[in-house]
Amino acid sequence: MSIVDRIARLFVILLAWAGLVFLALPLVIIVATSFTETEFLKFPPVGFTWRWYGRFLEDQSYLSAIWTSVSIAGLATAIAVVIGVLVALVIARSELKGRQLLNTIFIAPLILPTIVIGAALLQYANALGFARSFFALVVGHTVIVVPYVLRTVLASLERFDQSLEEASFDLGGNAVSTFFLVTLPIIKPGLVAGALFAFIISWINVELSIFNATAQLMPIPVKLFNYVQYAVDPMLAAVSAATIYVAVLAVIVLDILVGIDRVAASQK
Amino acid sequence: MRIRNFWAAILIALPLAFMAAFFLVPFLVTVTASLQTADGAWTLANYKKIVADSYYPGIFYTTFKLSLISTIVSFLIGYPIAYYIVNMVESRSARRVCYVLVIMPLFTSNIVRSFGWLILLGRQGLVNQAMVAMGIIDRPVPILFTETAIVIGLAYILVPFMVLTISSVLQTIDRSLVEASLDLGSSRLATFLHITLPLSLPGVIAGSLIVFTLAVSAYVVPAIMSGGRVVVMAMPIFDNYATLFDFNFGAALAVGLLIVTLILIALYLLFIERRGRSQIARQS
Repeated sequence: MSIVDRIARLFVILLAWAGLVFLALPLVIIVATSFTETEFLKFPPVGFTWRWYGRFLEDQSYLSAIWTSVSIAGLATAIAVVIGVLVALVIARSELKGRQLLNTIFIAPLILPTIVIGAALLQYANALGFARSFFALVVGHTVIVVPYVLRTVLASLERFDQSLEEASFDLGGNAVSTFFLVTLPIIKPGLVAGALFAFIISWINVELSIFNATAQLMPIPVKLFNYVQYAVDPMLAAVSAATIYVAVLAVIVLDILVGIDRVAASQK
Repeated sequence: MRIRNFWAAILIALPLAFMAAFFLVPFLVTVTASLQTADGAWTLANYKKIVADSYYPGIFYTTFKLSLISTIVSFLIGYPIAYYIVNMVESRSARRVCYVLVIMPLFTSNIVRSFGWLILLGRQGLVNQAMVAMGIIDRPVPILFTETAIVIGLAYILVPFMVLTISSVLQTIDRSLVEASLDLGSSRLATFLHITLPLSLPGVIAGSLIVFTLAVSAYVVPAIMSGGRVVVMAMPIFDNYATLFDFNFGAALAVGLLIVTLILIALYLLFIERRGRSQIARQS
C-alpha cells in the first residue's frame, strides 16, 4: 500500500469510529445521567442513586403508559404477522395477477410520511366514531408495521429451496400441513426478526400515536414527549434509560436468534 | 408449492380488506376533505390559503431546507461507517459490535434520542465544554433551539437508515472488480473513487430517499431540538388536527406536504437519470 492509501485508510477508520461514537453518545449520556444524585440533569453524573428509577416506578401513570404501549405493540405485531405471512405467501407462491401492486400497497406505509397516515386515520376514525380509541391506535400501528414483517418473510420465502415443500406433498402432506410443518419452521428466523422490528417500531412510535392518544390512553413515547416539553429532570432520564434497556434486550434477542449482521443485511 | 388462484384470493381477502379499511380509504378521505369546506362543498380554498401569503411557503422552505441538509450530513456520516463495516472489518464479531451500535439508536424512540442531544448541546453540555476546552470557542455558544440543533438531531435519527441501506448495496459489489483494479496497478483510493463509489450509488440514492421523506415528516425532533422556536410542516398539520380541529385545512397541508415531497423526489431521480445518461454519452 502506498502512503496515500495508508493515510486514506486511517482516515476512513477514524471517520467510521467517530460516526459510531456519535451514534452511541446520546444513549450513553442518558443512561449515565439517570443515576445522578443532583436534582437537575448533570453530566458527568454526581454520585450514584436508584432514586429516579424508584420515583418513576411509583408513578402509576408511567406504568400504565408502558402497559398501553406494550399492548398496542403486541396486538399490532400479532395482526401484522398474520397479514404479512398471508401476503408474502400469495406474492411468493401464487400466480395471482397484480402481485406487484399488492406488494406496493402493503409496503406503501413505509414511504408515506407517518404524520400524514396519522392525520388521515384520525379524520377517518372521527367520521366513523372510533377516534382516540385503543382500537384506532392498534389498527394504525398495524398499518405502519406490516411492511417490516412482509419484507423479511418475503425475503425468506424467496430464498429457501422449494423442493422441500414439494417433497412434503410427495410424502402425502397437504397445503396446510406443509405450511405448518415445513414452510413455517424454515421462515421462522425471518419471521421472528420481522416481528421484533415491528414490535419496536410500534413501541417507539410518536408521530402516529399523538393524533389518537388521550390523557387516559397514552403510549409511553407520547407521555415522554409531553413531559419533555414542560420539564427536563433526572426522572425523565430514568424513564428514557428504561426504554433504552428494552432496546438493548431486543438487539440481544435478535443477535441470538438470527445474528445481528444478518438482520442488518435484510433491512433496507 | 404453488397456491392456486382461488385459494390465493381467499388468503389475500382479509389482509386486503384490512389495508383498504384502515389505510387506503382513510387516505382518500383526507384527500377528499382537503378539497372541501367544513360543510362538504367542493372548493380549492384550502390550497389557496396555503399560498395566500408567505407564512406557509416559508414553513415549506424551512422544512425542505433542513431535510436536505440533514440528508447530506447523514450521508457524510453514514457512508464511511457502511464502507468500514462491509470492507474493512475482518472478524464477524467485530462486525456484529458495529451493527449493534448502528441498530441500537434505531430501537429507541425519537424523543429519547433527542433528549440525549438536549443534555449534550446545552450551554453547560458536553459539546460546549469540549469546544471551550479545545480552544475552538472562548465561551459556550447557544446551539440548542437553533436550526443547527434540528439538523444535528435529525441527522442522528437518519444515519442508521443510511448505513443499513448503503451497506446492503456495498455487500453485493463483486470483489473481483476491486481486485482487478488493484492488480492493474490502481491505488486503493483510485479504486474506491472509480469502482466502489460509482457501484454503491444505488444504495446512496435509495438511502437518501428514505432519509429525506423521514426528515420531511419529522415532528418530534424539530419540536424538541428547537423548543418550538422553529416551525416545520408537521407542526401546523398536527395543530390543525389536534387543537384547531380544522380537518379540511389540516388535510390540505398534509396533502400539500406529500405532493411537494413527491415532486422533489421525482426531480431528484430525473436529475440522476440525466447525469447517468450524459456520463454514458461522454464515455462512448
